[in-house]
Amino acid sequence: MAKKTAPRIASKDKKATDTKPKKQQKAAEPAVEKLFEENEDEWEDESDGEATKPTSKKAKGKKSKKAAIAPVEDESSDESEGGHGFDLDLARLDESDSDSEMEDADGNEDSESEDDDEEEEIDVDDLSIGNSSDEEEIAATTRVRETINNKDALLAALKRIQLDTSSSVPFAYHQSVISVTPTADAITSIDDDLARELAFMNQSLEAARRARTLLRKEGVPFTRPTDYFAETVRSDETMDKVKAKLIEEASSKKASAEARKLRDLKKFGKQVQVAKQQERAKQKRETLEKISELKKKRKEGASSALGATEADDIFDVAVDNELKSAGKKRSFSAGEHGNPNAKRQKKDTKYGFGGKKKHLKSNDATSSADIGGFSAKRMKSGGGAGPKKPFKAPRLGKARRKAGAGKR
Amino acid sequence: MASVYKTLSKSKGDQSDGEKEGANGGLKRNKQRVLILSSRGVTYRHRHLLNDLAAMLPHGRKDVKFDSKSKMYQLNELAELYNCNNVMFFEARKGKDLYMWFSKVPNGPTVKMHAQNLHTMEELHFTGNCLKGTRPVLSFDAAFEQEPHLKVIKELFLHMFGVPQGARKSKPFIDHVMGFSVADGKIWVRNYEVREVEKVKGEDKEEAESTNKGKKSKLGDKDTDVSLVEIGPRFVLTPIVIQEGSFGGPIIYENKRFVSPNQVRSDLRKAKAGRHNVRAEQKREGLGKRASLGLLKNGEKKDGTGLDTRELFA
Repeated sequence: MAKKTAPRIASKDKKATDTKPKKQQKAAEPAVEKLFEENEDEWEDESDGEATKPTSKKAKGKKSKKAAIAPVEDESSDESEGGHGFDLDLARLDESDSDSEMEDADGNEDSESEDDDEEEEIDVDDLSIGNSSDEEEIAATTRVRETINNKDALLAALKRIQLDTSSSVPFAYHQSVISVTPTADAITSIDDDLARELAFMNQSLEAARRARTLLRKEGVPFTRPTDYFAETVRSDETMDKVKAKLIEEASSKKASAEARKLRDLKKFGKQVQVAKQQERAKQKRETLEKISELKKKRKEGASSALGATEADDIFDVAVDNELKSAGKKRSFSAGEHGNPNAKRQKKDTKYGFGGKKKHLKSNDATSSADIGGFSAKRMKSGGGAGPKKPFKAPRLGKARRKAGAGKR
Repeated sequence: MASVYKTLSKSKGDQSDGEKEGANGGLKRNKQRVLILSSRGVTYRHRHLLNDLAAMLPHGRKDVKFDSKSKMYQLNELAELYNCNNVMFFEARKGKDLYMWFSKVPNGPTVKMHAQNLHTMEELHFTGNCLKGTRPVLSFDAAFEQEPHLKVIKELFLHMFGVPQGARKSKPFIDHVMGFSVADGKIWVRNYEVREVEKVKGEDKEEAESTNKGKKSKLGDKDTDVSLVEIGPRFVLTPIVIQEGSFGGPIIYENKRFVSPNQVRSDLRKAKAGRHNVRAEQKREGLGKRASLGLLKNGEKKDGTGLDTRELFA
């Protein structure tokens, strides 16, 4: 049905607009709009006869106003005529070897189109003759770039090819969704990649949701079952690469985060260290001050009364007391850590930290009388309980040892 | 007699079928076949884009590179040869610019667009994937309904990118959406995979939707929501012209906002040359000024009296 009416309307609409000179097109646009609206109505109800009449009347009216170039076509021009026109058009295309129509959108293209528009009405035979002169003439007049927006022709062309996507048609037939709001509204700046892509995605997401509900209503399978395997658009290799890239990205992100953490920690650790050092230096300074103070005191008070050695001892005790009172934190043995374990204590007594070390290892009366470690049995058996030693030759005298060494 | 009966019963059956199926019976079958081909001189990126699109269109027919720049009407014959009623032609110019032609073959219209910002499926920042030959949901911007030329373009996209129902090699599920949006006078094409995910907090919205649509849509697992992951390719199209015929005929739309890439490049070059020209001009002016002030090259002043030592004792 649509096909039948399409060529006819196309030709009429063209007449309506093409007879106007180019410059007047803008002024005449309201009329074109009206036409356009009526056309739209027509698609809605799809009854060709009633709807075409007003448009054709309008077209006729215009024709009478403007000097009509073409002979007036009858309203009852049938399908064959339209078809014929197209055949001719195609034939002309085949004949004309020139590439002019296929050329890109340069300035002389609109002139071309004007040509063609008129030619369609005039005659097919005139085409080849009048082509060149017309072209030059119009090219001269259209130096200033004027663009074409022949809405009627566009709509006619649309009508010729349009698929029915109205709500009466099952959605699965076309599967196209038109968004409710223009996407451009959601985009503030076209250069903002993230926002732009988000807007596009939202448009598609909305469409997907709507499509899913519609398709489910119609009972069309939407979700792919998990056990349905088939060739995919992107190959497995590509997907592997994609996956590898994702993993790499994630791992690098993680690594960088960790590195940052470490760096921060280091920075913080350094701060702590510096603080500690400062504290230590401060304490050292304090103790030194105290010592010097004590020295002063001693020089003032006690130099006359006591002997030199006694005074020294007193001084040491005084220093110890001072230090103990001042630097309780610094004492390792009984500080915040509590008493060290028994082993440590023993070792401390033996090797340092408390007590006199002199003559510690030498025997005295009690140790020499102590025979706890002596075993007569072991002595007799030659190491019965202890580890058995292999027989060892007694050490010879020096001369004989030397002689032996020389022999060897 | 038998044949007559057969035809009668068949027609009757058809009718009843049509009645049963409701609107579907009266519908003409959507038959589309797309000839996909490029001109010579395409870059690898253009070629990959073409391959991607061909992979997505089970009703497409890929052909060898078309070896003619001027005789584009030959494409009509070619399409006829392959029983195609749509042509998607990639025209490369200067080994860098890509123009895409979309045409309905026997008698138009034809849309010519300039393609920019091509990203193919090979690229790794797209993480989605979908089955080959599934029918996409075509998501059109509302702007496509506002202008006649956009309406035409939308219709062409619907024919070419929409896989017709029951097309050969098409698969029965829907797992991707193709988005066409209009922004900045350009058409942005995106392709997303539809993933069904566990529903998160946006439950109220979905519920509102379901109440709007009626309670019948409750069948199937309602506890999933869809999310999108981009598959690619992605590209941006700038409409240039629409011709009434197929690769020919009068031009019925021309985009005044389109600036040819050649123009852009030449402007850039000119701007660059302009910088040099300005500098050269300044230099010349400076020299002139100095000469008028009587300043020599070595910076000494040349007085007009002729009493300069050099002139005196030369």
